[in-house]
Amino acid sequence: MYRYDEFDAAVVRDRVAQFREQVQRRLDGSLTEEEFTPLRLMNGLYLQLHAYMLRIAVPYGTLVSRQLRQLAMIADKYDRGYGHFTTRQNLQLNWPKLAEVPDLLDDLADVEMHCIQTSGNCIRNVTADHFAGVAADEVEDPRPTAELIRQWSTLHPEFSFLPRKFKIAVTGAARDRAAVAVHDIGLRLVRNDDGEIGYKVLVGGGLGRTPMIGKIIRDFLPKDELLAYLEAIMRVYNLEGRRDNKYKARIKILVHEIGTDAFIARVEAEYAKLDGASVNADPAELARIAAYFAPPEYESLPAVSEGFEAAKARDPDFARFAATNLFPHKVPGYTAITVSVKPIGAPPGDATSDQMRALADLAELYSADELRITHVQNVVLPHVKLDDVHALWSALVEAGLETPNAGLITDIIACPGMDYCKLATARSIPIAQAIATRFADAERQALIGELGIKISGCINACGHHHVGAIGILGLDKAGVENYQITLGGDPGEQASLGQRLGPGIDAEAVPEAIERIVDTYLDVRAGAAETFIETVRRVGLDPFKPALQPREAQLEAA
Amino acid sequence: MSANALLGGEVVYYAAGGRWSPHLADAFVARTEAEAESLEAARAAAEAQGAVVEPELAPVGTDAGGRLVPSHYREKIRALGPTVRTDLGPQAAGENAHVSL
Repeated sequence: MYRYDEFDAAVVRDRVAQFREQVQRRLDGSLTEEEFTPLRLMNGLYLQLHAYMLRIAVPYGTLVSRQLRQLAMIADKYDRGYGHFTTRQNLQLNWPKLAEVPDLLDDLADVEMHCIQTSGNCIRNVTADHFAGVAADEVEDPRPTAELIRQWSTLHPEFSFLPRKFKIAVTGAARDRAAVAVHDIGLRLVRNDDGEIGYKVLVGGGLGRTPMIGKIIRDFLPKDELLAYLEAIMRVYNLEGRRDNKYKARIKILVHEIGTDAFIARVEAEYAKLDGASVNADPAELARIAAYFAPPEYESLPAVSEGFEAAKARDPDFARFAATNLFPHKVPGYTAITVSVKPIGAPPGDATSDQMRALADLAELYSADELRITHVQNVVLPHVKLDDVHALWSALVEAGLETPNAGLITDIIACPGMDYCKLATARSIPIAQAIATRFADAERQALIGELGIKISGCINACGHHHVGAIGILGLDKAGVENYQITLGGDPGEQASLGQRLGPGIDAEAVPEAIERIVDTYLDVRAGAAETFIETVRRVGLDPFKPALQPREAQLEAA
Repeated sequence: MSANALLGGEVVYYAAGGRWSPHLADAFVARTEAEAESLEAARAAAEAQGAVVEPELAPVGTDAGGRLVPSHYREKIRALGPTVRTDLGPQAAGENAHVSL
């Protein structure tokens, strides 16, 4: 876990003091709202439908217990006792009061946290695989890279006024759990034929109103050249990205308009001109950062835990949890546990302050003090001994956090939608709740297997609907909420965008339509091992199209 | 016309006499072309003056009891609070119970 040095700490405290003064000047009338808005956004403070909303950065989703405890304290002291985990691995508070935000930011700074660059046209919180450092399929922990980029991009004077926001994600594993192909820049740590580690660089991916899959612009970038190469990309974008139309200002549009080859040529030309040595971090600094992410002291344990196996045999509920929410750890005798923040029927990603404290306590007791926030809006305890899993699960049951649905149909990503968000065109959370309630039966969920439903309440796609195996987009159709369904999206290493299944349907019709889509899948899949997305890839959309028709029409057709 | 209060961010409505009220029932309603124009002028003035944030006009109707009901579901949600947390927002205090989605 990275610890601030004195410069980091001073930068954050200075920013809080600056914002305190800016708030004061807004309140006494010396700043207009127009002048103040960009200043508050630079500190992650939005205005939503019912209140202000504060977005707190959780760099690459990694937290230690005392930070989560402080977030719980802040949620109680300044907000309504809960927070919302987002698809950028951040935490949002929905009810802070403007005059209290500077004090809130000071309390955040006490645990080395802030809201800088969680909004605005700058490089946003860098995200990473939530199983970083523990995944068995990993080439290297992506977090030192993410931390290096965080340090380089924080308050970078050249890249503080980009044409539009800019999102970077890093994965170090073969299986892409960080959705890097739908980021402005996606980095994959890879090993070349000589055994050296470097980056595969993707540029121009993104969701929103013009979804695109990122293009590979370098198959192998040597590790120590990263910052200079990123700087070359950013310079090309900063200079040539469109500023005349905010809907065409993201780097994906530039890459698309001039073509990948032309974009590569521009980046390489810029890169050739740069004095790499003056930009790249020196090896000692890279080693200093990497040392913060050294693994905890693992015990030498057998790969199989007798206690764990016996508990599974004894307790079917525990066995179900163990089958879905555990992830293979690279160290024998350990596992990484996904704590689902998706209890059936609750808003996805909302955690109460009591739950945050319970998770902090459990991380301290069982997971080397560490937690991860996932872009799927769950929490991971990354270093748990198999011997401890049953005790931990019992504590999760107490806290109402034992839902055995990681990766299953009720593990739904949903943006806040029109229940909170000013940009939304329809609600997302009630749709997620209705679907989860419909598929509550754990046995049926297990039968259906891996299936990601992702819901956005507007075209900006914070709920990642384009890359949902089933994607749902809420729109306003003549004053009525209306939902478009897409199939076949995938955020992973075989990234693909979902295709529209047919015309939009009313909110009440959504659970039934999902039910029929799932029934069709169960009918046509080539055995239980073929996942939903694999079936859609094999058979296409046609077999699923009748699912959107009313039941009577289906019966007649039969 | 509604806006968000500067300090707390809660929804407020433009009431007769130019004050801002947390109650939908207090909202001044433009019923003629001339009133609509004056409301738009008040909106522009409120925006320039900055005591509230993002003033916007929204269409409303009345129910059988003569109570104001926002026409669009977005304004209904603003009048009530999050539909997924009925313990929060104006609805928690029993405000605007006659408004339904």
